[in-house]
Amino acid sequence: MRSVNRTRIIIWTATAIIFWLCSVWPAAADGPVKLNYRLKWLFNTSVAGDIMAVEAGFFERSGLDVTVKEGGPEKNAIKELELGYADFGVASADQVIRALDKGADVVVLAQLFQINPMQWIYRADQHRIEMPEDLRGRHIGVTFGGNDETIMNTLLAMGELTKADVRMSSVRFDFSPFLKRKVEIWPVYRNSQGVILETKLAREGEKVLFLNPAEFGVSFVANSVVTSGKTVKSHPGRVKAFLKALMAAWEYAMDPANEPMVLAEIAKKDKGTEDLIRMKQLDATRELVKPSPRLKIGTIDTDAWRQTETIMLEEKQIKKPVLVHTRLYGFPAE
Amino acid sequence: MLFRRIYQFLIVYAAGVSGLMGIKYGVGLSDYVIPGPELILETAGRVLTTYFFDCINTLSVTILGQLISIFMAFSVGILGRKSTWVGSFIKVMAYNIQAYPIVALAPIIFILLGDGFLSRLLIASMICYFPLLLSVLGIMASPVEDIEHFYKATGRMRWQLEVKIRAFENLSKLTTVIAGSATLAMAGTIVAEFIAADAGIGYSIRIALYQSDLAGILTALFMIGIIISVYQGLLETAGEQVKTKWSAPKGGTLI
Repeated sequence: MRSVNRTRIIIWTATAIIFWLCSVWPAAADGPVKLNYRLKWLFNTSVAGDIMAVEAGFFERSGLDVTVKEGGPEKNAIKELELGYADFGVASADQVIRALDKGADVVVLAQLFQINPMQWIYRADQHRIEMPEDLRGRHIGVTFGGNDETIMNTLLAMGELTKADVRMSSVRFDFSPFLKRKVEIWPVYRNSQGVILETKLAREGEKVLFLNPAEFGVSFVANSVVTSGKTVKSHPGRVKAFLKALMAAWEYAMDPANEPMVLAEIAKKDKGTEDLIRMKQLDATRELVKPSPRLKIGTIDTDAWRQTETIMLEEKQIKKPVLVHTRLYGFPAE
Repeated sequence: MLFRRIYQFLIVYAAGVSGLMGIKYGVGLSDYVIPGPELILETAGRVLTTYFFDCINTLSVTILGQLISIFMAFSVGILGRKSTWVGSFIKVMAYNIQAYPIVALAPIIFILLGDGFLSRLLIASMICYFPLLLSVLGIMASPVEDIEHFYKATGRMRWQLEVKIRAFENLSKLTTVIAGSATLAMAGTIVAEFIAADAGIGYSIRIALYQSDLAGILTALFMIGIIISVYQGLLETAGEQVKTKWSAPKGGTLI
């Protein structure tokens, strides 16, 4: 009697599991593809396109279920691609080149910023920097070990200056040395911190200028969309769909006609920033991402990538050439 | 004691690195995610001397910070040992301040003191001080009834004698706590350097992190481990000698 009961329980349990699998499996197979997309930094205006890709349904319409994850100082999209925590990510050019130097299988799908947002802010009442030589004798802030140090070293070399010709100070997370005029030229992300400082100082009646290395011919590439070479080979359709949706979202986000909707979505994610600042940040981001109306967002500037690699080689950031141009896939949007 | 500390650290470090290598080769990760032995050795050869001096720089701040913490903890601990309102207030305050993550307090410290030596020293002392204070308070507030009763009954008890009795009876605990607080002071200094200093091993780790240089970070960890093991070993040896000296009667030997 007891063994009959046990047999019944087993049969019922097995039947229940089969029914459950039947109900769940087709949904999993036919449903949207689940993907993880790791950003380089926190949610703010500089990732407007990434936010809109989800919030305005661009990914969903492409049959993709994408979880956009915030980045941060300790987050590294390329490492997450390799560890399988992310399918796509945003990484700076120096990260990509360093990763290639150490044997990582990473490819670049799109270049988000056509102009590097890493620039230097200085007060307009100080001697204007019109050529790299004008940096002589100035007190400059740099993040030692960071991108900005590499870019500044390149600028100094262009001006035939050495570190002895300027005074360099290590920057930290607060701007007080710049605000107190202890450091003259301070590194900022033009479209985020740059806007905040510019607005803050304008309220005090001070005008600022920005030192954009690209104006002196230093095109050091910034954030780009990356994935692994393995993903490109094994899921080319998925990569194309992702990129198409993402670039469409960025075009939408950078279109001034959509500004109110875009700002409203950013405000939901970035609650600590004033409305006015967010608006200015969006304007600044637009100039960096789509500097001319004809230029398609995501266009890869191969020459700038080559220059970035050359700079890193000269600065001994990498040991050997990595031929980064061979890793620039840049899938066509159509 | 000293050599035991060092080889124990080497065992832990080797186990950690072996674990990483197991993951690296097991999963097939590139040197970018986990560097291979060749890259680690090459990086170590390049940066070991620099990191050694960075560690010495950090250690100098650590020692000073720890000395300040010990002095402060004993002063406050002795003052607050009585079960009075002041004693309980100090305890509650210490618990509360300990609960604040230093990364939240650090910006205020750096804005006020800049990113130089003083900020590092203050953060090292803060991280080291509160656990030390709680231990000292706990020890100083616990009467040694068997001994203290005699002095109280004969009317010869003074606060200095009370402190001496309690310190003597808890000498092992105190030396262990002081030796243990060295790691806290070192961690505090490294955190301060990592956040916003321009010197020390924490600063070098920050640069290595910016450059995704895990081999550099592993080298820095090795150097920190060795230096702190030596320092702790020396503290423990000194503690043993103090115990022996205190325990032995004058002119006699310890039984």
